Amino acid sequence: MKRAFFIAFNEVKLYLQDRGDLAFSLLLPIITFALLYGAFGGQTMFEGTAYIVDEDKGTYSSVLLEQLGEVEGLEVELLTPSEAETKLERSDILLVLYIPEDFTEALVSGDKAELVFRQRGNGEQWGQVVSSIVRGVAEEINQEFQVRGQVSESLQGKGISQDQIEVAVQEFLAQERETPVVGVREEVLGGSPDFVNQFLPGIVTMYVLFAIAMAARVIVEERRKGTLERLLTTRLSVGQLFIGKFFASVSRGFVQTLILLGLSYAVFQIFTPLSFLSSLVIALIFAGTASGIGLIIASIARSEDGAAWIAVVFSVTSFMLGGTFFEIARDSAFYTLSRLSINVYANDAFNVIINEGGSLGDVGPQLGILAGVMVVGLLISRLIFRVMPGGK
Amino acid sequence: MAEEFLVVKDLHKSFRDFKVVNGVSFSIKKGEIFGLLGPNGAGKTTTIRMLSTVLEADSGDVTIGGYSIRQDAAAVRSIIGVCPQELALYEDLSALDNMVFFGRMVGLRGSEARAQAMTNLEMMGLEDRAKGKVAKYSGGMKRRINLAIALMGKPQLLFLDEPTVGIDPQSRNNIYETIEGLRNKGMTVLYTTHYMEEADRLCERVAIMDGGQIIKMDTPYKLKGEIGSPEQVTLEDVFLKFTGRSLRD
Repeated sequence: MKRAFFIAFNEVKLYLQDRGDLAFSLLLPIITFALLYGAFGGQTMFEGTAYIVDEDKGTYSSVLLEQLGEVEGLEVELLTPSEAETKLERSDILLVLYIPEDFTEALVSGDKAELVFRQRGNGEQWGQVVSSIVRGVAEEINQEFQVRGQVSESLQGKGISQDQIEVAVQEFLAQERETPVVGVREEVLGGSPDFVNQFLPGIVTMYVLFAIAMAARVIVEERRKGTLERLLTTRLSVGQLFIGKFFASVSRGFVQTLILLGLSYAVFQIFTPLSFLSSLVIALIFAGTASGIGLIIASIARSEDGAAWIAVVFSVTSFMLGGTFFEIARDSAFYTLSRLSINVYANDAFNVIINEGGSLGDVGPQLGILAGVMVVGLLISRLIFRVMPGGK
Repeated sequence: MAEEFLVVKDLHKSFRDFKVVNGVSFSIKKGEIFGLLGPNGAGKTTTIRMLSTVLEADSGDVTIGGYSIRQDAAAVRSIIGVCPQELALYEDLSALDNMVFFGRMVGLRGSEARAQAMTNLEMMGLEDRAKGKVAKYSGGMKRRINLAIALMGKPQLLFLDEPTVGIDPQSRNNIYETIEGLRNKGMTVLYTTHYMEEADRLCERVAIMDGGQIIKMDTPYKLKGEIGSPEQVTLEDVFLKFTGRSLRD
């Protein structure tokens, strides 16, 4: 067993020496993660910019701008009147909010204040959303003034100072914001709508499948270098060689998924500590399965190109059959066929842990199948392996 | 009289219908350097592969140090060292790392492997480059490392399959001196080469193989004597006389 460990250690050492290979295998999951983050990171219901011309520059226009700036996903960009005109004319933007110069004055004097939207056509969808957001914020300010006005009116002549009225109004409004009379609650059907949760299992299984190509290559590479023959004239047995190569391949596949899962844990916060550990266990077993299959390919292939091609064809087929990024209808022939893909079981297991809040106990059958394929892969590869035609 | 350390009896090997080794028999005494000569395709490398347990013989028997390669291959592997014709090295690793790794494979402990690696590197004149990547070595240096690895674990029988192919005279001379040093220490060596003057210098006895069979076997001196005066005839003359002048490959 010690020699198997040395084989694995040597393989890791060679892997660390090959900077191109190292960069590829370690940076790729990071790049994938960055793409994932770029596509889905910090996702909100809406993202857009409110273009505003503030002709008032008074207290209440500042309040309005401040409140708009606090709306999630909405960016506020101030324009001068001439900039706004030019951009609207060129259709660079489709909607501009004008805060007229008498806005604050009108509110303070109790007159009706008016906000103006100037838009091209209907302002398109994003313009309408921005318009709704602005209307909502304006409505809140409006309510504040109404409350303040009504309270002042009802307390007039009762010897209460204006300052005390203002304090009471502010307390009431603060309480209203904290515990609104009408609340809104979101109920999501079919689990989390987060795209990261949906895609992560598929991406992780895709990475683990690389282990097939890695395992398939290592033995053929040893054969090409002549080191395979040399190794088998030492005390190393073929079984030890296979176990060593198996460990090395599992380590490489696992490190890649560890990076991907670790970053997802840290940035997207989609795991609990337990679900993270459970996902690592699945990744480890699946890396073993992929490596076992890779060693079968290594035993069949006679050249590195041959090994790479068989591995690619196998991986792509597993990937397509595995329903990695799309759901397969249960009553279809494709579903039956998909049961032959190892990806299906890994994807199922990851989904149960990541999206359904399940535990390792819930994915026992899937893990059992993956472990079984791993053992069978190792046995078959050992049985059909020959150092050279006619060799041991 | 020295004991016979390697005994090969009627060894056969075919690939499909082609007989590569056809009834080869010879023996090597302990401490002897024995040359196996022959043109390309004569069956030398296949014979060495069978003796080093990598390839199974179709029939015949081989014992090395009293162990049968059929019944006790693991014991055979524990007393042999193989320097293959191709450079079987990890080019991305240093010479020292290569040697320590193969040292561990032949059963040495970490410190033993490291100490023996340094001794062997010194013997090959490569101690200063021990930590350099093998990929950056010259052809001659790689050949010397190839041989140094075969010496890890101090094998009792060393198979040297054309260890001096394609290298400069200095490296070749270093390898000759190393092999002569090993002979003086009592190591048994089975040596194959295409360079006849090399076999003449190093080997006590040689066997000339052709078409999978041994066609001549004796001391270089006696073989030369078979076709003329041993002082005037070269081993190459003997080789060409018995294997013919027609091109091979």
